[in-house]
Amino acid sequence: MLFGLLAGAAGAHPAPNSQLRLEFQAGVVLAEYWVPKSELAWARAADPAGGYDAYLLRHLAAETQDGKPWQVIIGAVRESTYMDHEYLVAKLRLAPPAGATARDFVLVADAITHEVRNHVVFVTARRGDGADLVGALQYPAKRLRVTAPQAVAQSR
Amino acid sequence: MRIPIPQFLILAALTSSPILAADSVACRTAKGGAANATEITTALEKLLPLLNPEQKKALHHPFDYGNATRWSNLPLGVVPRNGLRLGELDEKQEAAARRVFEGVLSACGLKLLDEVRLADDWLKAYDKRPIGWDGGNYFLTVLGTPGEKTPWMLQIGGHHLAFNFTFNGHQPGATPLFFGTEPIQFEIKGATYTPLDAQSTAMSRLAAAIAANPQAKLSGTFTDVVKGVVMSGVPGQMPTGGTDTGFPQSYPAGDQDRGVKVSALTPAQRQLAREAIESFASFPGKSIGAPLLAAYLDTRAFADTFVGFSGSPELSAKGSYVRIDGPRVWMELVVQPAIAHPEELHYHALWRDKQSDYGGEIRK
Repeated sequence: MLFGLLAGAAGAHPAPNSQLRLEFQAGVVLAEYWVPKSELAWARAADPAGGYDAYLLRHLAAETQDGKPWQVIIGAVRESTYMDHEYLVAKLRLAPPAGATARDFVLVADAITHEVRNHVVFVTARRGDGADLVGALQYPAKRLRVTAPQAVAQSR
Repeated sequence: MRIPIPQFLILAALTSSPILAADSVACRTAKGGAANATEITTALEKLLPLLNPEQKKALHHPFDYGNATRWSNLPLGVVPRNGLRLGELDEKQEAAARRVFEGVLSACGLKLLDEVRLADDWLKAYDKRPIGWDGGNYFLTVLGTPGEKTPWMLQIGGHHLAFNFTFNGHQPGATPLFFGTEPIQFEIKGATYTPLDAQSTAMSRLAAAIAANPQAKLSGTFTDVVKGVVMSGVPGQMPTGGTDTGFPQSYPAGDQDRGVKVSALTPAQRQLAREAIESFASFPGKSIGAPLLAAYLDTRAFADTFVGFSGSPELSAKGSYVRIDGPRVWMELVVQPAIAHPEELHYHALWRDKQSDYGGEIRK
């Protein structure tokens, strides 16, 4: 039985979740953060101060295993629609403090989850052409250890 | 051909009132299945010879984590199900499958199965994409080998229903049990149906009764049940999740932000909490449902159970939510925007048992 899967899938789900897509590069972690506007509206009603960049910086951070803060820079933010839901898609740059590895850190994140109790932030890490699921954050959890995935084996 | 809904249920729906009694008493006082493993095994043995090889293959699967957690609150087009598709059964097969349902479900459980499937039939006219809204897109699945000794599961489910019954497990297993409905109320052929009337009414009456207690108000916002299935996806990738891959769940601990304890309620409020628990626990047959209900209503356990709510106690707005959170029991009901008609509302509800989901038999 064939259904219009991608076209209609999320539209069947009234509470879309977030996805933080990490990409480990030399000395830095780049990310794309997909946040559904419908769920963000509830969170912003509870925490309305400042613009979206300021909100994200209040609710997303990274640190070394021993608690030294990483630098988080919010880049371009665009809007996108995916399966009937509207998202804000932010480019992020996460950089470790001097001397710390960029391949192992603790993500501290509660955007939307500080307010919406059923909301889940899926964290993935790019590996080759695909991505590994690193973990998921749902209230009250807001800390997730993230390590760079093993490199994909080279094909012969 | 669909099996007609018993006349007493139609009458109950037609005479449904804001008071809990009318709808729920009709099914609770009716004779239901015993959920006896031997009887259900016999009913399955009578169904099996009526199935073709492809259907037999669809019906049986190993009892493992991947198969057990393969239930969802999403339509078939989003999360394909294992199992024997009920919409493809001929008259004899359907009658034999019905004997299985009658063996495992109470009269309330049968009513829920019938009416939730009818709700999907009602939605079918609006399924333009399509994603599989159809009362025929409900499935019967057997995990493991039915019998009296080793653990096995019977799953009955589709878009807005997931019955997961475990036999011969560490504990009687009625959960996870997800149920929902869109629309909340509908008419088909002149009859009116309100599939979750008993549960939504019981939860609403409980929330209204405790609303004046500041402790009863849960913090935050609820746009779905908290311990249900979740899915994720981004363009260019297939959506992932949508099944119970979050199992085993973790639950709130301590006394903070869990609502008000039953021990702090008045006798009248306690009675409403009891009725709400009973309304959720009314679906399985006796041998599964009775011990669980007894455990939840045990004097000590019941006293240590929290009840809380968010949003509108009348369940009249999206985001309204009511929860029962005990030493074992976890029951939640949430009001969401409808999908077919977003200006309207629909319900999702979930019953979990912190000890005996899947009979305590599966591990990740």
